Formats: sequence, structure tokens, C-alpha cells
Amino acid sequence: MKENQEPTIEQIADLLTDIASSLMSSGSHTKRIIRNVSRIADVLGYDTDITLLQMSVMLTITNAEDRTKRLTTNKKLNPLLLNFTTVSDLSALSWRTHDDKLPFDMIQSEYKRIVSQKRISPWLVMFLVGCANAAFCGLFKGDLPSAGLVFAATIVGFFLRQEMNKRHVNHLVSFTASAFIASLVAGMTYVFQIGTTPQIALAASVLYLIPGVPLINSVLDLIEGHILIGISRLVNAASLIVCIAIGLFTSMLILGLEKL
Amino acid sequence: MNTEMIKLVLLDGALAAVAAVGFAVISNPSRKAIYFSALLAAIGHALRFILIKSGVEISLATFAAASTIGLLSILFARLIHCPAEVFSFPSLLPMIPGMFAYKTILSMIKFMQSTDTIKAQGFMMDFFHNGMTTVFILFALVVGVSLPILFFPNYSFMVTRRYEQKHNR
Repeated sequence: MKENQEPTIEQIADLLTDIASSLMSSGSHTKRIIRNVSRIADVLGYDTDITLLQMSVMLTITNAEDRTKRLTTNKKLNPLLLNFTTVSDLSALSWRTHDDKLPFDMIQSEYKRIVSQKRISPWLVMFLVGCANAAFCGLFKGDLPSAGLVFAATIVGFFLRQEMNKRHVNHLVSFTASAFIASLVAGMTYVFQIGTTPQIALAASVLYLIPGVPLINSVLDLIEGHILIGISRLVNAASLIVCIAIGLFTSMLILGLEKL
Repeated sequence: MNTEMIKLVLLDGALAAVAAVGFAVISNPSRKAIYFSALLAAIGHALRFILIKSGVEISLATFAAASTIGLLSILFARLIHCPAEVFSFPSLLPMIPGMFAYKTILSMIKFMQSTDTIKAQGFMMDFFHNGMTTVFILFALVVGVSLPILFFPNYSFMVTRRYEQKHNR
């Protein structure tokens, strides 16, 4: 390889921080991120030390042969947008790099391809989430009319949240608002006496908002000893759950509790 | 087990599968992972249903179901070269204690608004009973699914590797 084709330390640090931040905002737990990034860095001939925080990732790379060559970079993270295709593809890429000793250019182009993959269509997601919440209503022994209303409520709430996310509304506000609207729509079971299980419809209508992945990731991080990031994830998930509760609470107050 | 029970279990599994698919697509996994999370959710939830029907306490049953999901997910992860958490997380979600959480909030509001001391005490009891159940079920879910990942760390971190198998054949 010619001298000028050798990647510079800056280029390598940039690529590695990009990979770490993509993994982080796609919803991977900390241990996987550290393992994947170090594995790629090893092949490129660098040692890594990573600090992960809720809003930023900090990474120091040191050349394994010449310890005076080292660089620290710090990158702001994008807001959490779950994408497990990215997580599994980047994880596979790190193993491929390790096993086939991929060159730097190859890793970079593969990374770009992985992060620019298209997501599942938002309309399809909305429909499936509606079905899921209706199925939830069924699991709690709700009857068919309430399941139908839960479907409608979920679609409305999910649409609202998507639109608010597009306009960069604070995520706590958007969670509260969509929980409120969804439970209000589901609460129409009371107002119009649809079905026999209005309670179950109300309870199921907000469940699509539950932040399951951050919650599980936080416990995994806590168990593996990444206490700081584990607690920040936990606080984040807990505040979202409180917001859901506030939304539900408000619509229950409006609907009137005498009937509940 | 009679046919009525089998029917109920199957219905339970099917509903859980639909719920898991809906929650899986939010996190944009690959198509194969979606099928597997539906399958795992059906297995896990049906198992929990059977356990509860045969008299096991709900959080314990949840723990058993969650660890079953965790173990199976590591096996399946090996098959489709995809990290286990990608499909074990969505398949847990149908077991989220939604009704208990709802009842917790409901009893909290009723407690807040009631003027009768005796009734208020009853609501307080409801609040704690439902709240504790919610928290314990959530805890059982999360710990149950992460235990297998902790017990087999190397195994679960190597599922996306293709090289090894190619050369061992």
C-alpha cells in the first residue's frame, strides 16, 4: 500500500466515533458498543478507550505500536431512534473486519451503506402497532368492540407522536400528549357505551408507548457495571413512563371517575 | 388438559405474537428477526398462561417465561446471525403488566379524591398491591431475559460472526 493511502489517525477516530454513536442511538447496550468498536480498532492497529454518556460519546485511540500517536474525539449523539438492523449489521461488520482483515476504505463504505438503509414504511409500522395494541386488549380479556377502539386510539396517538417528533417537540411533551389523546379516544367506550370492557380498553390504549428497549438496556448496563449510563437510561425510561401515566391520568380525570 | 384449555392457550399465543410483531417493527429489525420475535412471544406468553392457570404466582411465572425467551433467543440468534436482544426484547413486551399499571393509577386518583377515610385506606391498599405487582413483574421480565445473555457472554456476542462456522465445516 502506498504511503498516502494509509488512513490518518483523524480519519480512523472519526469512523470509530461514528460507529459508536450510530450503535448508541440505534439502541444497543453499552457492552456491545465497546466490544464492536474495539474489535474494529484492533484490526486497524489501535487501542481504544470509550466513555459513553446519554448525550455524547468520547473515544481515545492510541496506536498500538507507537504509543505517542493518540487522539481523543468527542461526538454529540443523535436522539434515540431504535434501529436494530443497524445494530446487527454493524455487529456483523465488526466480526467481518476482524476475520477478513478488511481495509479502512472498505469498512467506511460498508458503514455508510449500513446507516443509509431504508426503514420500514411508517404507515405499515403504524398499522402493525395498532394491531399489536388491539391484541393487547385481547390478552387482557377485552371484547371485540373495545379492541377495535383501541386500534383506532393507537393509530391516532402514534400518528400524533410521529408528527410531533418530526417537528422536534420535546419527547416528554410528545409522550404525554399522545398518551392523553390515545386514552381519550379509548375512553369513548365509556361515553358511548361501546363493548363491556371499557377499563381494559383504557389500560391497553397507552401501552404502545412503553419504552421497553431503554428499560431493558438500562438493566443490562447496570448488571454489567456501566452504572452511570445505566442510571441515565433508567431515569430516561422512568420519566417517559411517568409521562404516559400523566397523560392517562388527565384523560381519566376528564372522563370522570364515578363511572370507572 | 382438555380441548378448551388448549384453545385458550393457542389464542393467547396468537395474540401475543401479533402484539410482538407490532412492537418489533418500531425498532426496525430485519424481517427474519420479526418472525422469530413473534414465535418467541407466542411461546413465552403461552407458557406464562399455562403456569398462571396451574397456580403459579404471576411474577414468578413471568420470570420463568422471560428466562425461557432469553435462552431460546440465544439459540435462534445463532441460526439467523442476529444479536439475541434484537428479537428477545420485542417478544417480552406482551407480558408488560398493563392492567396492573392502570389499576395503580386508578387507585391513586381515587385515593386522592376520596373524603371517606375507610374507603381511602382501601384505595391505598389497592395502590400498593397493584404498584408492587407492576414493579415486580417488570423486574422479573428484565432480569429474566438478561440472565442468559450474562451466563453465555461469549456465545451471545459471537452470533453475528460467520467466519468460524464456514471454516469448521
